[in-house]
Amino acid sequence: MAEMEAKADSGKKGPGVKKSKKLSTRVDLTPMCDLGFLLITFFIFTTTLAEPTAMNLLMPKDTKDPNQENKIKESGSLTLMLGKSNVIYYYFGSDPTKMQTTTYKDVRKVILDKKKSTPADDLFIIIKPDKDATYANAVDVLDEMTINDIPRYAMVDVTPDEYKLIQQTEQSAGIK
Amino acid sequence: MARAKIKRASTRVDMTAMCDVAFLLLTFFILTGQFKPAEAVQVTPPGSVSNKHPIQKHSFEVTIDKDNRVFLSLTDDIKGEVWDELVQEKGLKVTPQDKEDFKHADFVGVPFSQLLQFIKIPSSQLKNVKMDGIPIDSSNNELQAWVTAAANATQGERVNWFIKGDGQAKYPTFGKVLDAFKKNDIYKYNLITTQEGIPPGTALYDANLKEQHKGIK
Repeated sequence: MAEMEAKADSGKKGPGVKKSKKLSTRVDLTPMCDLGFLLITFFIFTTTLAEPTAMNLLMPKDTKDPNQENKIKESGSLTLMLGKSNVIYYYFGSDPTKMQTTTYKDVRKVILDKKKSTPADDLFIIIKPDKDATYANAVDVLDEMTINDIPRYAMVDVTPDEYKLIQQTEQSAGIK
Repeated sequence: MARAKIKRASTRVDMTAMCDVAFLLLTFFILTGQFKPAEAVQVTPPGSVSNKHPIQKHSFEVTIDKDNRVFLSLTDDIKGEVWDELVQEKGLKVTPQDKEDFKHADFVGVPFSQLLQFIKIPSSQLKNVKMDGIPIDSSNNELQAWVTAAANATQGERVNWFIKGDGQAKYPTFGKVLDAFKKNDIYKYNLITTQEGIPPGTALYDANLKEQHKGIK
């Protein structure tokens, strides 16, 4: 802009002398170029971020025959029950009344402690999402199995007794 | 003698060429980039550390939205066969036009009783349609029929079974979807997730590091 004004001034100098100045047809393209690249950057960032990934899930066959069921050592089992409001209840062995509470942030420590204290062949984690758990909860815990390299785990439904226990705990703790 | 004039070189660069390139690239990316299809069902999948990308071939995708409704979408390469098989199994009375409509429909979100009307609705208007989802109750598990049809129609060929759930969907719905697959002796699925970083210091993180070192050596 400053340039153009300066030129206009110089054209008026010297009365009587009329200089017809040709205005340049060249336009400064810098802002347009900036805009172009800005848009490119924007489109590249917004398109690649939305790509989904797939996670493998292998479920066991349902079997009614007790002889075909997988046997788990009581000393090596850890049961994680997923409750509402992102709370996990867990117990070792087969006694649900001894359950403790944890969160999705701290569950890794529980899993790792168990993994360290049990022989690798005995370790078995049972995941039991209850009726109030969300799909994200289930995926999170399955993901935790991949992260911590747990070779044997299974996802099953909670038993009515366990669900009752969870509900009692939730009521006394005021979890809605 | 005329003094040699020192021409001062201008610092201004002609931006025309650069500008041309920028807009050429912009046009290219816009034209090649695929627009996210305007989905009538909005789903936000949870995150996982998996970095595998789903194969978009022979795919049978079950979508669970946050209101626990179940939808089904098939890729075009198996649509025709699955439709024929389903019609045969369920004894539906259909016309060849219905099959064409089904091939054009993006997804299925209603029980069989409303299916023929549903597939005639153009996808741009699906947003205004009330959809109940595919019934998955144990008494009336229609998803199971769809799975059976897909499994029978593509015998010998590998179908990729996908489940894409919203993070807020309740677990029992997911369990029922799994039941529909299990009843058909299908035990291997792919869950659609968004990618997440692997937390440092964990077993998987260490394993990945080792892998990378091997690659470098």
